[in-house]
Amino acid sequence: MGKAINSEPLGKFYKGGKTRTRREWRGVQDTWYDYTCWLHNWGSMLKFLAKPQNLKGFLHYRWMQNYLATPDFIDRHTEGLRGPQLRVAHKEFDFIVSHVCDTMSAIFAGDAAIGGKEEVRRQTVVMDENMMTQIMNGFPNLKARCVQIPIVYMPSTVQQEGVLYYIDRAQEFGIPGDVCPMPAAELGAVLEDDFPKTGICALQCNTTCDGSLMGNGIEERRYGIPTHQVAVPIRYTDPATRDYAAQEIKNAIRFVEEQTGEKWDWDYYFKNIKNFNKETEYFRQWLEISRTEFPQVIGNNVALYRDAYYQVAGGRDEAFVENERQICEIMEKAYRERTPVVSKVRHRAILWGVQAQYYTAFPLWLQNCWGIVPLIDMLSLTSTDIYSEDDKEQAYYDMADMYAKMNMRNRSEGGYEVGVEDLWRFCEEFNADVVIMYEHIGCKSMTGYHGLFDQEAARRGIHLIWVTHGLMDPRKASRQSMRTDVNRYMRAVLGEEPLDPSLEEFDDSNAW
Amino acid sequence: MKDLKHLYYLENLLQENNNELVRQAREQGRKCVGTVCYQIPEVLLNLPGCFSVRMRAPRTSSMEMGTYYMTSLTCEYCRALLERGLEGGFQFLDCLFDPASCSQMADCAENIEKLELCTAPGFFAQHVDTPMKDDENGVSHMVNMCRVRVLQKLHEAFGVDVSDEAILKAVELHNEVCGLITELGRYRAELRPRITGYEFSVFCLATYCCPKDLLLPILRETAEELKTREPDEKPPYRIRVAVAGAEIDDPDFIKLIEDTGAYVAVDRYCFGSFPGRQRIELDTESGEDLLTQICRKYVAECQCPRYMNTSKVASRKAYIDRLAREYSCDGVILQQINFCNFWGYERAGAAHVLTTDYSWPVLSIDRPYTVGMSGQIRTRVQAFIERVELKKMGGNR
Repeated sequence: MGKAINSEPLGKFYKGGKTRTRREWRGVQDTWYDYTCWLHNWGSMLKFLAKPQNLKGFLHYRWMQNYLATPDFIDRHTEGLRGPQLRVAHKEFDFIVSHVCDTMSAIFAGDAAIGGKEEVRRQTVVMDENMMTQIMNGFPNLKARCVQIPIVYMPSTVQQEGVLYYIDRAQEFGIPGDVCPMPAAELGAVLEDDFPKTGICALQCNTTCDGSLMGNGIEERRYGIPTHQVAVPIRYTDPATRDYAAQEIKNAIRFVEEQTGEKWDWDYYFKNIKNFNKETEYFRQWLEISRTEFPQVIGNNVALYRDAYYQVAGGRDEAFVENERQICEIMEKAYRERTPVVSKVRHRAILWGVQAQYYTAFPLWLQNCWGIVPLIDMLSLTSTDIYSEDDKEQAYYDMADMYAKMNMRNRSEGGYEVGVEDLWRFCEEFNADVVIMYEHIGCKSMTGYHGLFDQEAARRGIHLIWVTHGLMDPRKASRQSMRTDVNRYMRAVLGEEPLDPSLEEFDDSNAW
Repeated sequence: MKDLKHLYYLENLLQENNNELVRQAREQGRKCVGTVCYQIPEVLLNLPGCFSVRMRAPRTSSMEMGTYYMTSLTCEYCRALLERGLEGGFQFLDCLFDPASCSQMADCAENIEKLELCTAPGFFAQHVDTPMKDDENGVSHMVNMCRVRVLQKLHEAFGVDVSDEAILKAVELHNEVCGLITELGRYRAELRPRITGYEFSVFCLATYCCPKDLLLPILRETAEELKTREPDEKPPYRIRVAVAGAEIDDPDFIKLIEDTGAYVAVDRYCFGSFPGRQRIELDTESGEDLLTQICRKYVAECQCPRYMNTSKVASRKAYIDRLAREYSCDGVILQQINFCNFWGYERAGAAHVLTTDYSWPVLSIDRPYTVGMSGQIRTRVQAFIERVELKKMGGNR
């Protein structure tokens, strides 16, 4: 027990059931900081529940109960962290907690199923969860709401069994068990009528993948509001697809204008894009430091947060920009002081493929158990381009580019060059010797490259560790089986011992 | 019924990708264009000087090498193609056009390319982005991609003539083949049909896998033969069904259904005749260029679930309903190959809509790639037949 990383065995928190005691001793300063953040998060949630409309939503929807595990979710994602890493984690995750509370408040405010207001619905455009939201950057009077995020995406992350009911419901409808559980869960929620009834119109998209777009067709039948589909080119790196992609954006904007009576506002768009570009600049700084011997913002501290601001906020929320500025300050100071992120750096790793939603804390486990530093993950390696802040025609092409480069989709679709070749480029850039290769059982996009990955990694002398998972369905591959994939490789191939032996094997099958 | 003269020949021909007619065309100096999907207009791959072969993996048994490269979690059709490629079965291809139809097929095509499984001199693989909506933007995208990534490529690589005259010639050939296939297929609408669903599927499949001009004499002769073919006095079928869904490149699957007692009256599956074997009517007076007219037709008629716009999603079910009525069907069999994302959802959705909105009895099945002898499928079809018969006895459709 102490201030140093790995000073206490973290496996002790897992006793086979729900984890109830999680308070780590991190030294006086860090423990106090962590405790105040814990109080702050409870404060955010209680404030949320204090609104009568939100309380109605809480009692109406089965998926809301998952959020009771939020404190545990934060604890899982700060496990073993000290100093600047702990602060960055709280800056991000606590921000996400209050952001999700705000989003749900806004959704419930217009939800017809619980007596929401008509005028709120008329200002709401329902967006596909797996879709960039920059089309809404030019509509100052409208709100983009990805209703699937609080129902499916977040619950499966907060609580590992959070969406199993919906997956089963989709299969009962006839969806095969071999498809991706994410669109299946979305569909299950729709079939159960567990979607808030809001929005004046909806936008759907073919990102991220074939499965995702296919769920849309059935979901639309239930939405009952005018719906438009945006089809982003699959082979988006081909320059010959760009005019088509830009026209798709124009058509989507026209649809929103027609349905809502609102007009596209270029000033508002460029203001938001400036924010987006600023965020990209901050992200570039994160990456720059991650390439050095003293990376600072890594693993969990990149993945979920980048999803939130890159895709969902899309530059429209200035609070993100300020939050990232503060994170950069912490990061730069920690880098100057050469603060280590693990007690001993054994390996530098790139995480490739799609992460398990029910085990988003897995990168942290890699750090704490084996000293594998998860420098960056595939889902975060999206566009780092700076987009035009004044050219209107170029802006359509920019938006098309952003849509094509949505999280994950920019690697899982688009071909060998972006899905496989780029990985080796990143390994060189980040000086990584290990690739944690997620193999999502239901994902058909990257799986087809399995043999090519293996062969090329062997040729380049990179340790490729396959970690199989079921994305949102831990029944297909448990958290422990994911850890076992790594444990076996570390012991059998690399002959190493864990930094924290208590984390090598423990029972968290019934944990949140 | 008396056996059709050319059936046995075609059955044998279809046992190989690089069959006798393909070899003959290549010996004539024509370039063989491999393709994996309906998405790229077939007629553009059959310009004078080249011919298309829709890739299959007949007689597939084990897929161990394909499974190593693509894992056991992907579509068996894709894995089987890769396996065939690894065995050296696609060496005869001069090029490969992949329309990015689905992720798995795109991965399969890239594996074939990156593993250098086709070694013909000058071989290339071309990945072509194709639209996912049937609106005007989708059509113009298709036109652009076909111009830049298909025609231009064929011209540059092989000197293929891509002029309007050449396109018209290819359309003419395509239309003759489609006319004959339509003629053969119309007999399935008869209540005492003079052609079985299995026989038709063999002839139709051959048109996707052989040079069309070399197949024409066989089709013409068969069309003549059918005019006077005497159907069985009492058809050996208990019900008539429409089969819809994903790839069926193995006529034995149709045979299995028919052996069980369900006549396959109409085919709405990939490698089938709906869509794909309809004439292309070009209007040279309209002022619209030929390529656009062709692309417009393909985009409008495509029934692949990857087309995602609202009207298209709904029209796919209406299309099946229309065909099933036109061919006097008693039920619909929806099928897909395991691990197919597109058809996994489409099958479930279509089964729901066809049952609730159109009142069709539906058998919904997912299956492995090779099913010729599947007892499991046979049992399900038998049960479906009994279900439909019971409904008919009750006076309900």
